[in-house]
Amino acid sequence: MSEMNQERFEDLKDAYVLDALPEEERRSFEDYLAAHPERQAEVDELGAVAGLLAFSPHEQEPSPTLRARVMEVVEAEAEPRHAQRRSLWSSIADFLSVRSLAFGAAAVLLIGLLSWNLLLQGQMQDLQGQVRDEQAQVQELQGQVQDAQAQRQVQQSQTIELAGSWADQGAEAEVASINENRVILVADNMPSVPDEKTCQIWVIKGDVPEPSGLFQPDGNMTATPITNSIEEADAVAVTVEPAGGSDQPTSDPVLLAEL
Amino acid sequence: MADRGREYLVLADEDLISLVENGDADAFATLYDRHSRAAFSLAYRMMGERQASEDLAQDAFLKVWRNAASYRAERGSVRTWILSIVHNRGIDQLRSHASRRRTQDKIEASAPRSQPSEAFAETWRNSQRDQVREALNTLPSEQLKILELAYFSGYTHVEISELLSLPLGTVKGRMRLGLKKIRTHFESRGAAVPR
Repeated sequence: MSEMNQERFEDLKDAYVLDALPEEERRSFEDYLAAHPERQAEVDELGAVAGLLAFSPHEQEPSPTLRARVMEVVEAEAEPRHAQRRSLWSSIADFLSVRSLAFGAAAVLLIGLLSWNLLLQGQMQDLQGQVRDEQAQVQELQGQVQDAQAQRQVQQSQTIELAGSWADQGAEAEVASINENRVILVADNMPSVPDEKTCQIWVIKGDVPEPSGLFQPDGNMTATPITNSIEEADAVAVTVEPAGGSDQPTSDPVLLAEL
Repeated sequence: MADRGREYLVLADEDLISLVENGDADAFATLYDRHSRAAFSLAYRMMGERQASEDLAQDAFLKVWRNAASYRAERGSVRTWILSIVHNRGIDQLRSHASRRRTQDKIEASAPRSQPSEAFAETWRNSQRDQVREALNTLPSEQLKILELAYFSGYTHVEISELLSLPLGTVKGRMRLGLKKIRTHFESRGAAVPR
């Protein structure tokens, strides 16, 4: 393998950011980079371009069991972390209890300093908490403004009502185009579906249904982006599918709108 | 607990990561709910089947939980960081099973592909994902194929050269042109490359 130099660095940097260098070349490239830190920013910038590929795959819904599996481990590990913090305080208490009286005064002083420190930290955290609360309120207000704007846009936009068996049972659903690029399905009063099922939106062109979004009715109003263009579509439908969605509908539509 | 979960919904990813670093499972759950779909989609694109993709996504999210302190905001967004973990671990797994996949990929690589147009045909404009797809849609299929074989399938440039029976210089050139074209796509619209 030829020696790494500026010319070779230029030749290999694209493959490096795509993770496409054989192991030995990669190590050699990284050694060169470590010796020339002024090139790091250039590599980071190129790496950001390569990293965009991660955003491109078609959306797939993970199953609810994945979340359950991950959270089971996380919650099990979260508890020992709290326990570790508790045992640290226990150790300090033990340490203080077995020292001789000769260290008593020093311990009292230490506790005093610690308490003062904790008091100051507590005050600081309270202030930080207040700042966070204020920020949250600002965000909430911004959210309300955005909601109001979105609602106004929806009101100004075209809406198409969906019919079908669920509508007969009292469900209300509309396809709303907020602008030429954003189309959402707004649904309310939908029947609940079991955890292992999900509602899937289909944009139908000719006889071809295209999977166009998933949502889980939760008793509240939901707004779900329709991920395929409805321009030149013949209909929009909703079916109940296995969790994670299907490539093709496996049941009859519960809601349908002809466009 | 549920109230805290609701409060976390308004926090930025960077704030949640700080809480996760301190062992806050609710903050982690909020991050998971925000990014699990993107992470799983990437995993599925790399592994090609559901169970392996879920295993990869689980592995990556547990790394997020255990190594939240290693997140560096200056290197990019939390979402990009999570996706990079999925990608790196995916590449490791693909390379450890490389021999099993080689034959199948060789067949796919030599067959006429409908994937680029099918995969990136939709023109969405209102999100980062849409912009990226739009940029990828502008690439000639031979450049896109090489980027995909490297990024999603874990092949080195030498392996791609063998797989497609192309000179190594051509493979490197297409990688360079493909990445350059993506960057130019964003710059021509006055937008920075999302990080």
